[in-house]
Amino acid sequence: MTGMLVKNAYVIDPLSGVNGEIMDIAIRDGKIVEEVGSGAVVIDAGGCLTLPGGIDSHSHVCGTKVNFGRYMSPEDMRAGRTSRKGVMHVTSGYSVPTTFGNSYRYSSMGYTTVLEGAMAPLEARHTHEEFTATPHQDMLANTLFDGNWSIMEAVRDKDVKRAAAVVAWTLAAVKGFAIKLTNPGGTEAWGWGEDVHSIRDEVPRFGVTPAEIIETMIQANELLNLPHSVHIHCNNLGVPGNYQTTLDTIDLAPDLNKERQSLYLTHVQFHSYGGSTWKDICSKSEDVARAVNARPQVAIDMGQIMFGRTTTMTADGPMEFKLYMLHHNKWSNHDVELETGSGIIPVYYGRKSLVNCVMWAIGLELALLTKNPWQCMLATDNPNGAPFVKYPEIIALLMSRKLREYEMKVIDPRTEHFVPLFAIDRELDWYEIAVMTRAAQAKALGITRIGKGHLAPGAEADIAIYPLKPDELDPSVDYQQVMAGFAKTSYTIKRGRVVARDGEVIVEGANSTIWTRAEVPPEFDLNNDPEFVKKFEQYYTVRMRNYPVQEVYLPRGVSISTEASL
Amino acid sequence: MKVEDVVCPFCGCLCDDLVVEVENNLVINVENGCTLANEKFMGDHRLKNPIRREGGSWKDVSYDAAIRETAEILLDADRPLLYGWSGTHGEAQSVGVHLAELLGAVIDNTSTVCHGPSILAIQEVGHPGCTLGQVKNRADVIVYWGANPIDAHPRHMSRYTTYADGFFVKEAFRERKVIVIDVRKTESSAVADEFVKVDRGGDYAVLSALRAIVRGKGDLIPVKVGGVTRDQLFRVADICKNAKFGAIFFGLGLTMSPGKNKNIRNAIELTEELNRHTKFTISPMRGHWNVYGSNEVFTWISGYPYAVDFARGIAFYNPGETTSVDVLRRGECDACLVVASDPGAHFPRACAEHLARIPTVQIDPHVNATTCLARLQIPVAVTGIDAEGTAYRMDGVPIRTRKLYEGTYPSDLEILGKIYALVKEAKGS
Amino acid sequence: MRFVLNTGRTIRQGSYVERKNSPVYREEAASLYMNRVDMLDLEIEEGSHVRVKSDQGAVVMVAHPADGLVRGDVFVCLGPYANFLVNPETHGTGMPDFKTTVVTIEPTTDPVPTVRELMEQCGGVGYEG
Repeated sequence: MTGMLVKNAYVIDPLSGVNGEIMDIAIRDGKIVEEVGSGAVVIDAGGCLTLPGGIDSHSHVCGTKVNFGRYMSPEDMRAGRTSRKGVMHVTSGYSVPTTFGNSYRYSSMGYTTVLEGAMAPLEARHTHEEFTATPHQDMLANTLFDGNWSIMEAVRDKDVKRAAAVVAWTLAAVKGFAIKLTNPGGTEAWGWGEDVHSIRDEVPRFGVTPAEIIETMIQANELLNLPHSVHIHCNNLGVPGNYQTTLDTIDLAPDLNKERQSLYLTHVQFHSYGGSTWKDICSKSEDVARAVNARPQVAIDMGQIMFGRTTTMTADGPMEFKLYMLHHNKWSNHDVELETGSGIIPVYYGRKSLVNCVMWAIGLELALLTKNPWQCMLATDNPNGAPFVKYPEIIALLMSRKLREYEMKVIDPRTEHFVPLFAIDRELDWYEIAVMTRAAQAKALGITRIGKGHLAPGAEADIAIYPLKPDELDPSVDYQQVMAGFAKTSYTIKRGRVVARDGEVIVEGANSTIWTRAEVPPEFDLNNDPEFVKKFEQYYTVRMRNYPVQEVYLPRGVSISTEASL
Repeated sequence: MKVEDVVCPFCGCLCDDLVVEVENNLVINVENGCTLANEKFMGDHRLKNPIRREGGSWKDVSYDAAIRETAEILLDADRPLLYGWSGTHGEAQSVGVHLAELLGAVIDNTSTVCHGPSILAIQEVGHPGCTLGQVKNRADVIVYWGANPIDAHPRHMSRYTTYADGFFVKEAFRERKVIVIDVRKTESSAVADEFVKVDRGGDYAVLSALRAIVRGKGDLIPVKVGGVTRDQLFRVADICKNAKFGAIFFGLGLTMSPGKNKNIRNAIELTEELNRHTKFTISPMRGHWNVYGSNEVFTWISGYPYAVDFARGIAFYNPGETTSVDVLRRGECDACLVVASDPGAHFPRACAEHLARIPTVQIDPHVNATTCLARLQIPVAVTGIDAEGTAYRMDGVPIRTRKLYEGTYPSDLEILGKIYALVKEAKGS
Repeated sequence: MRFVLNTGRTIRQGSYVERKNSPVYREEAASLYMNRVDMLDLEIEEGSHVRVKSDQGAVVMVAHPADGLVRGDVFVCLGPYANFLVNPETHGTGMPDFKTTVVTIEPTTDPVPTVRELMEQCGGVGYEG
């Protein structure tokens, strides 16, 4: 390999402590190296902002419920269609693009790694098929355990080690990356059409509470030394007054890990509501941010909503049903036996809706009020809050008070009485944005160890060169340029190959799926455990032998091995 | 050699607990399977090699020649149709979609004459469903509407519903109430706790009546609706409202009867209404073992689950226009590639006549009605027997079919891969 | 006499789906099930040949009684015999009226065609291999 040299790059690499230096980056065999020879291909970054490839720590792009969202919404498919062009396949979809659509659009924005927000173990094969068809991003899967029967039984028996054994077996079987809890306990209750309403509510017929599930899983996660922490979508999403549930959940988090958080709360905007009804819903971002600021063991992502239409889809079945009762829009539901649930419904977030305006403000507030950008990552819970193609707009809003003031003039005028946003002066800078869109994610996910999220020699050569010159722009006024610049890279380089140029993907992809193999001692190997095997013999409708995801589904799989301290 | 946990590639039940005995590249015994499985696994009636029609007779031809000719036929055509797909593995279906994309062809699967109307309804009002294990473990009320599982999905009742014991339902046969709703008595209605006989074409009205009762507007109901008495309507509505977990399964009785997608829409809306009172789900009884797979694959690549037209360069979907029966009856396509299905037997005759007029190529292990209409047939391995690949069960759960022995036939994936490569080369991509 | 033709799956039809040229398939797919009283009216009995005609054409089938059918309804399993009669109009849904084809039925002495013969009538060339 002759290698590649990116010259004159204005580098911000927070994990390496680089903040705005003009440098050259040398690449060989897919990795960043100290130097390359004179035969190397040269790319002149022209002094433009060069960051490690973008990392999305929570996005719904692949799997059963995502595909459900696609095929039930032909109108969404029509709203975002493109033709074949060069190596690029046909794409369809506005808020739920087809897999190639997702891949090309992420690539255009410089994103090279994406964590799929939710994967039901029983249907993991589907997620992996779609991962391979999202060829320009390395993919990871949040594996759902919120309604898992074996887990709830271990929690009931106060057996953390058994819970850890179940997690280890499952992640290895379905090639999952991390523990995801979505409305823990609630998704099982929804199997009967019920829900839980606080972290101390008992899950019907299982006799455990969400708090117990969360605490046990955090312990199990750390016993297994998993790269990422427990990743939680709190109970009571979307309910006015739910901020209390969020604070209660944050209070559960111990500080068990020096490298990263012990609890990652996702799309916290949806969980930061005060008031008690839709009429008096208000922002409690200050309370939530205060709690996050006081606890380095907690990290969150924004869950920003943006105005316009989109599709909501989560494993939180009961919540999606509530949205159906509210909006009476077309609603889909898919409960997964012994494991979890899901629901899908299209929504429209309007500037004329006071509630939506409050929601919009909260996401931004969380980012501006969390002091440490490493603790609050940029995300929209794609597509629940907004399609990910809106990230550049969110960046612009975070960097410019002026733009936020402009927005204030066009949203519901009562909003400022319910939210503190317009009293907040803070404008995030280029470094903080770089942290919130890649460096923090790499750290939170525990994937710096495989070379993600930074540009020091040894790292994966995932690089995004944006047509932005930080020294020549004032992001607080030049927000249009900021938006345009983050929307389309001049170059997106993945594993040392230029995959996108000026918004066009120019090569076929060859991504990897990254998963976690937690090695446990033989006495914790559940393959011959009678209680565990019984689940497959009697309650599942798929045989144990046919359940695991075969190697063939991960053509370029990368496993991160960890050793459990059981 | 005995192989356990074998996946059956026949109907949408996608049973994966079969035990199969293989000897000398032939399956000699099947345990746990139904009649359809036995016939499928132990059948030995394959086409030996590719055949080509010359004038009024058939000649053997080599795989290479057949593949080349297929590519030529497709390249020559202005508007080719790629139809079928439900009887093969997902990996092959993927190649099919990309091939259609390359050719600017119409690609469609058997949903078009099966649960296409269900998909249309889902696209209007959504789909409140679940995996089959949810039903097995929790349901105390089962409704089969316009479906006859004993004939079409023989093990559905024993694996998932009437006779299937679950975690919360320890004695299914005693604890579960089964309602069968149909226009005629069937084997399935014979084992029901309650049989509701509907007049032909009366399903829509009956569904509306049930919805009205569930909504508390029962006094609107006349003495009889769609052939069903007021008494029985109230009784059925009551059973549903008082269920702890109800599961509706519906079949071609709703998708093919007058009203088609509107029937299903009404059934889905009834389910949504029942969700305000208790837990209720609704699921289509998908016919083929991998028709849902073709919907899934078509969707994640093109955005649409069937009837996809690439002629404009984008993915375009308009059932009624881009659906196979319509494309064929309008004489609109000038070549057809049939994979893993038999439109000659299952499409209206006018469509079969058009298939005979145009160059039609079939990729299928067996001689069937479509063989007579085609110019060329290429036999392949049978997925689940001598080829493996991904399948999606009727409830969306993906299971990988097994390869029981190393046979001599190429797989659908291999053949389609070669056709794709030739087409790609010719188009200079 | 006018009837409405319903089609659907049967286990025998499904069992022979890979042997459509076989006598068993032909027997199953060309079986027309009728209400007993209707058969009396037509003066036919179990095993009689009947000519079934729709706006698409006519095909000879074998009549059998079925207790589950009401008067005026007939049933044939899905397959080429039934489809010989089904209109391809889909009313914009993509789905033909597989379950509501209006037919007339009269007794006949004509033989029941083979699947091959049906396909040849459509313009195909049979393969027996």
